[in-house]
Amino acid sequence: MNTADDPTQNHQTATAEQALVLDDVRKVYRMGDGHEVVALDRARLSVGSDEIVALVGPSGSGKTTLCSIAGGILSATSGRVIVGGRDITDYSERQLTAFRQDMVGFVFQSVNLVPFLTARENLLVVDEMGKRTGAAARRRADQLLDELGLGDRARNLPSQLSGGQRQRVAIGRALMNEPELVLFDEPTSALDTQLGEQVMEIIRTEMKSRQTAAIVVTHDERITQYCDRTVHITDGVLEA
Amino acid sequence: MFLALREMHRAKVRFGLLIVAIALLVFLILFQQSLQNGLLTSFVGGIRNQSAPVLVYSTDGQRFIQGSIITPDLEAEVRASGAVDEVSRIGQGTFTVAAGAETFDTSIVGYESLGAPERLSAGRAPNAPGEAIGADADIDQGFAIGDVVTVIPGGATLTIVGVATDVQLNAGPTLFVDYATYLEVVASVNPDAQTALPSVLGVSPAPGFSAADTTAALNALSPDLDALIRAEAADLAPGVDQIRQSFQIIFALYAIVVPCVTGLFFLIITFQKAAALTLLRALGAPARRLVSSLLFQAVLIVGGGYALGTALYYPVSQQRLGGIALRFETASVLGWAIALMVLGVGSSLIAARRVLRIDPVDATTGVGQ
Repeated sequence: MNTADDPTQNHQTATAEQALVLDDVRKVYRMGDGHEVVALDRARLSVGSDEIVALVGPSGSGKTTLCSIAGGILSATSGRVIVGGRDITDYSERQLTAFRQDMVGFVFQSVNLVPFLTARENLLVVDEMGKRTGAAARRRADQLLDELGLGDRARNLPSQLSGGQRQRVAIGRALMNEPELVLFDEPTSALDTQLGEQVMEIIRTEMKSRQTAAIVVTHDERITQYCDRTVHITDGVLEA
Repeated sequence: MFLALREMHRAKVRFGLLIVAIALLVFLILFQQSLQNGLLTSFVGGIRNQSAPVLVYSTDGQRFIQGSIITPDLEAEVRASGAVDEVSRIGQGTFTVAAGAETFDTSIVGYESLGAPERLSAGRAPNAPGEAIGADADIDQGFAIGDVVTVIPGGATLTIVGVATDVQLNAGPTLFVDYATYLEVVASVNPDAQTALPSVLGVSPAPGFSAADTTAALNALSPDLDALIRAEAADLAPGVDQIRQSFQIIFALYAIVVPCVTGLFFLIITFQKAAALTLLRALGAPARRLVSSLLFQAVLIVGGGYALGTALYYPVSQQRLGGIALRFETASVLGWAIALMVLGVGSSLIAARRVLRIDPVDATTGVGQ
């Protein structure tokens, strides 16, 4: 299952088969005292349209920065970022917001659900922020919750759900907008081993059944078995 | 509005308590507005709603009818002025009056052609000696139409034949009688006194003169004359300005407290739900959508609080507070509604500013949890 290869050998052109292309992407932070910190250094990566890539690296290696750039939360200092065939490199703040609504799904490590919304509403909020399709969105939310085994938990608030159930709701929410790419940032870090494996199984099943690309950020090598390929990152540099 | 309504639905107690807090403040504001207006009306309603467009005081009277005395010389000067049409003597004194089983300090106003209440709410104007117009605020105290009251000592009797609205003086029972009856009342109380001089003169402007022209002309006649337009005479009566200023300070404090309460509330809940807002921003929620959600909540809360406060105020506004008649002040209700909505929503902009500053990248680091 683990088909790690050299990401830098991928062609860095946007094609219909590629959900993500990072081409020579750098992210540099200028600190208060004037010196610069390179969080991501000339990253080159492409992810196929139904590929699940594990991004593995120690804390502070640049995993989250890469994910944030791929998801349009951060802008790259230089290089090109193409998601689902759209070059978002020069997008404005407003364009990036619309891009996040339409093109990507997120499952974050820590803050994942809106506490005052039920499981179903946490899915519907994606539609409310964007196109507002109404009945179609409600049908899709119900379908996703059923697929994730949460049909009977739709009316529960996050506080009434277990850690695993909360992550499954977050996965459902990430899929609500039918994204080109889903970014999972340490999706199992708050779960025990058994729950973590269940969640990864669900992620793989859902991504593959929808032919949706995903990047799973992790520092746990055991997670990589659920992914098609593994990419390592150290000090902001991607390795084969 | 999806987010705003869902959040309020899930936190009914929190938002409900704020609505109740605003409702209580609104109730206090409207109640005190009624109290202020009722108090002023009970002090000077008899001036504001009498028929003389201009009142002429003696300067020594310091705009207090009972303290003013118009000497025959001053009266002659006024009557000789080309700026006046009709001149009416008006006398006023405070007397002990037995009404029913109780006695009251009662203001009795005597008038000639001008100085009676402009409109009666019931009954008729006096057309015989010993008849009087009462204030409808005093009806329950034995001053209703048909009641006969007795001035003590002396025993002069007055029969109430009509009542008028908002014509009290000095926050107590008030009667209007013709000038001859007034002189009889004064004489009955103090038989040894000389004929009472008028307290003020009620004047109507000569043709071609406005009320302001007439007051200017009369004030130019003598430094001992102090002519005032009716509304000025009411507003400049001793104590009126002090009452108004005191209440204005209280209202200003309320106008500070309401936005502070609303603004702090939304700032606190914005801090509390910072993680959720950050998540929503990361998921692609436009900042303006989150801000409009917050402002929508502010409108609902201030509006709800205002509606509840007005509902609490309505039954109270139908009551009397001692000698002061309270009233549902529609203009005040609308005016304060607009003011508090602007202040409440305006104060929420501090929280809105914080929402606009949220950086979606914090969702990846857990900042704001």
